[in-house]
Amino acid sequence: MAEEPIHDGKPFDPMEPWREVRDVYMNAWGKTMVDMVNTEAYAQATGAMLDTYLTVSAPFREVLEKAMLKTLEQLAMPSRADVVAIAERMTNIEMRLDDLDAKLDNIQRLIVQAGTASRPHAGRAPQPSGKKQTTKAKQAQRGKK
Amino acid sequence: MAEDTVITDPVTAAADRLKTLTKVMTTKAAIAQTPKELVWTLNKSKLYRYIPVLPKEKRHPIPLLLVFALMNRPYILDLRRGHSFVEYMLNQGYDLYLLDWGAPGPEDKNLRFDDYTLDYMPRAIRKLKAISGVKEFSLLGWCIGAILTTIYAALRGNEGLRNLILLTAPLDFSNKQDLTFARWTDERYFDVDKVLAAFGNMPGEMIDYGAKALKPVENYIGNYVKLWDNIDDPRMVDGWHAMNTWVTDNVPLAGGVFRQLIVDLYRHDKLMRGELVIRGERVDISRIHANLLTVIAEGDHITPSCQSEPVMSKVSSADKELFRVKGGHIGIMAGSGASKFTWPHIDDWLAPRSQ
Repeated sequence: MAEEPIHDGKPFDPMEPWREVRDVYMNAWGKTMVDMVNTEAYAQATGAMLDTYLTVSAPFREVLEKAMLKTLEQLAMPSRADVVAIAERMTNIEMRLDDLDAKLDNIQRLIVQAGTASRPHAGRAPQPSGKKQTTKAKQAQRGKK
Repeated sequence: MAEDTVITDPVTAAADRLKTLTKVMTTKAAIAQTPKELVWTLNKSKLYRYIPVLPKEKRHPIPLLLVFALMNRPYILDLRRGHSFVEYMLNQGYDLYLLDWGAPGPEDKNLRFDDYTLDYMPRAIRKLKAISGVKEFSLLGWCIGAILTTIYAALRGNEGLRNLILLTAPLDFSNKQDLTFARWTDERYFDVDKVLAAFGNMPGEMIDYGAKALKPVENYIGNYVKLWDNIDDPRMVDGWHAMNTWVTDNVPLAGGVFRQLIVDLYRHDKLMRGELVIRGERVDISRIHANLLTVIAEGDHITPSCQSEPVMSKVSSADKELFRVKGGHIGIMAGSGASKFTWPHIDDWLAPRSQ
């Protein structure tokens, strides 16, 4: 059986020339399209399309919103506006909680600092027993006597 | 012993290719895999802290906060294992935080830059400082995230901001000729209030269409042709799958922000002209004193370099650098060359400034 012809270390791919042509064509097409979307005419056309869509759909949206609002009222259920208002209030509460959390963090930090400052000898080695005695040790000695 | 040989007939090969194609087009890739913990939330926003991989003594003391755009998911910064900016920076010893804005709902349609920069960011940064136990931090803003970080740096830069990194930052809108978006959103053709009255927030699909329509052939056809040409290369297919997962995961943009973006920035260039007012405070870019690194993508069709360069002459930072890198808007941070050029440069710049 004949082996596949090798070209530049790779097996021959009959689709390669087609791919090259395709890439050249796509590059040219891509550049043309980039130029096209950069024109005032394109901006005007897309703007007009969007505007038309919004204008045409607005009455339908309005009718749908009103119908939905009425239905929710009939079912004694909250409307989107009600839910949105609650969500906004929740965010405000979250901010207040966040501020309180930060204040508590600060208070905790100050307490730790104050505690450290009031124990200046906390980290030192114990004093030799012959020279200075603590109040507790003195009381213990008095008790023995 | 005879070697095992795999004989694939053309029909089986075509079936395998079709199977791969169906898989990548219909499923989501495993993205954002780097371990992280949720440390703060407000509304839809979340602040994550990535679990450090180096011991404390080997880490930089100044934490870095990543702020991505509002209308895309931030996991582009942590796309997939072995190719993630987050993973890279953790390995370089950064204490890394990510601010995920989440997806705004109908109740968030009035959110503006004012809210994001003066309510959300300062609170997230306050938490970051409390956790890290430091007074200073670095900020990295990408795309719209760079607008947010610039506004924050101008208004609250004296609250511990040491380093500011802006990636493909759309800040200057004066050159209307080179800005396709400016042409499309010109007030003669685009009624922003009518759009927002209909949708509340700007739908993610419309933003996605806008971004893709800048290069329609490349995005709508070329992208899939490229996949088909490389369908037998698992590495390339994995990368394509992850990127496609991100590209198709659209997030709406809060209506208030969208209006500000179009009216105040694209139409009236208020930020660079010093006329942008955020909650009563004028945003003066010359009040930025933090060390500044601006990264420009030379092939960026979404944010051309003319939008990012002028900030360099406006800030008061004594230490500033403009870095140009080959690639597109997203490619410079998530493309195949990112780990060779962009990420190491950001690390080289930031490491000595994070001591």
